[in-house]
Amino acid sequence: MGSILSSFLGGSSGEGSSESARVQAFHSSAEWQSHLNSLKESPKLMVIDFAASWCGPCKLMEPLVHKLADEYADVSFAKIDVDELRDAAQEFKVQAMPTFVLMKGGKEVDRVIGAKKDELEKKIVEYRATS
Amino acid sequence: MAASGFEGFEKRLELHFFGDDPASGLSLSHHGLRLLDSGSLEDVLHAVQCTIVSAVGNQYFDSYVLSESSLFIYPTKIIIKTCGTTQLLKSVRPLIVLARTLGLSLGSCRYTRGSFIFPEAQPFPHTSFKDEVVYLEESLPSSLCFRKASIMHSKVGSHSWHVFTACDATAEMAVRPVPDDLFTIEVCMTELDRAQARKFFQSPGRVGKFTGDSAGRAMTALTGIDQINPAALICDFAFEPCGYSMNGIDGDRYSTIHVTPEDGFSYASYECVGSVYDDLNDVIRVLRKVGQIFRPGTMSVSITCPSADSWTWVARALEPLGLKRRSCNMDEFPEAGTVVFQTFTMTTARRETLDEGIDPHEDVKQLGCAPWY
Repeated sequence: MGSILSSFLGGSSGEGSSESARVQAFHSSAEWQSHLNSLKESPKLMVIDFAASWCGPCKLMEPLVHKLADEYADVSFAKIDVDELRDAAQEFKVQAMPTFVLMKGGKEVDRVIGAKKDELEKKIVEYRATS
Repeated sequence: MAASGFEGFEKRLELHFFGDDPASGLSLSHHGLRLLDSGSLEDVLHAVQCTIVSAVGNQYFDSYVLSESSLFIYPTKIIIKTCGTTQLLKSVRPLIVLARTLGLSLGSCRYTRGSFIFPEAQPFPHTSFKDEVVYLEESLPSSLCFRKASIMHSKVGSHSWHVFTACDATAEMAVRPVPDDLFTIEVCMTELDRAQARKFFQSPGRVGKFTGDSAGRAMTALTGIDQINPAALICDFAFEPCGYSMNGIDGDRYSTIHVTPEDGFSYASYECVGSVYDDLNDVIRVLRKVGQIFRPGTMSVSITCPSADSWTWVARALEPLGLKRRSCNMDEFPEAGTVVFQTFTMTTARRETLDEGIDPHEDVKQLGCAPWY
């Protein structure tokens, strides 16, 4: 069977902070805009995780995103709370959560909608390689 | 029919909760049960013996595709549907306890299922409907004092509909965030068309190369499941070596499909929520599309809280496909309201289930409000 999300939960779901060093959370539009601009010319792949604190699937996916961020050090990971940064969520047309938007050179190259660990990892591997 | 195999027929549980203090409960009920932490949810599913394979949420509710079916969590309502040999009813007590940690109390419970293809393979308390009812009676708080259990039979021996509902009269007003204009449609299909069922097998070369997510997406497109409701966001998954599940989310409404394609015990289910304000042609189109995708030998359709004439359009939707109505049964249940259960069988010559002894018009004459066996 394909990978099971729940097998990753183990004991880590209880650990306090939802912000790991490798997943940068943005709390203000200004901060976010400036970060987006800084990566416009970069060949680096960026994964933006649009999530909500009250959305179960987002909470489920969180530890998996941290794992992916740790594993793929050459990929930039950002986290946006759709309530905090409503404009950003609207700009990226986020309707369901979690939504992962993959960006390269300031442009969206793909997205994954839902807590789909395998699909997200597959796309990270695919897009980080191409330039 | 095979001697043994995977049980596709699901057990379905729907629990409605209400906040202790309706006034201050508003902010809690705003997200309510969605605030349950993943670990606790996992523990409950572990007791049922299933796990989460995919999930997605929107502003209205969270949806989860499970190893053996689906879970939907709204602020004050939980719907779990599981197949195989899962012990679904074991989730009742833990869910009641978890809801209490959020200040929510159980207001009503609804349990439904069809007839198991392999009943002897079911573990307690699913060993018989009687065992299930006794287990539920013992698990529910006494405040849910209006209760009813009934088996709705049909002229198709392999398809009966088992219903148990319970509710608390005083909480009923607060508990019904879902207005009376919504109804639930539960479709169970057996003896699937072999060519259609084959589409739910992963081809040997694909296994390992593709993941459950992308293989699921391929099946959704190949079979036309994405055309049933083009507006819905679909969260799909393909199992190895065969089998398929999907949840569709469209605003505050869910839909869900589960397929066991193996010959000898093939099964598919479709469930969705409809509204009396929907364009009837759309609802007919949806049901007809489902029939076209699976072309089952036998199809049963159960509608809960229907509008006055909700059963008539089902036959209108399915008869052009060669599915003839064999029976129609109606009954009233606490909280759920009216449940209409109809069965259809495929009339084309190549179907082994054709029973030429039944007068197709006999059922229409006998339709009424009283249940008959």
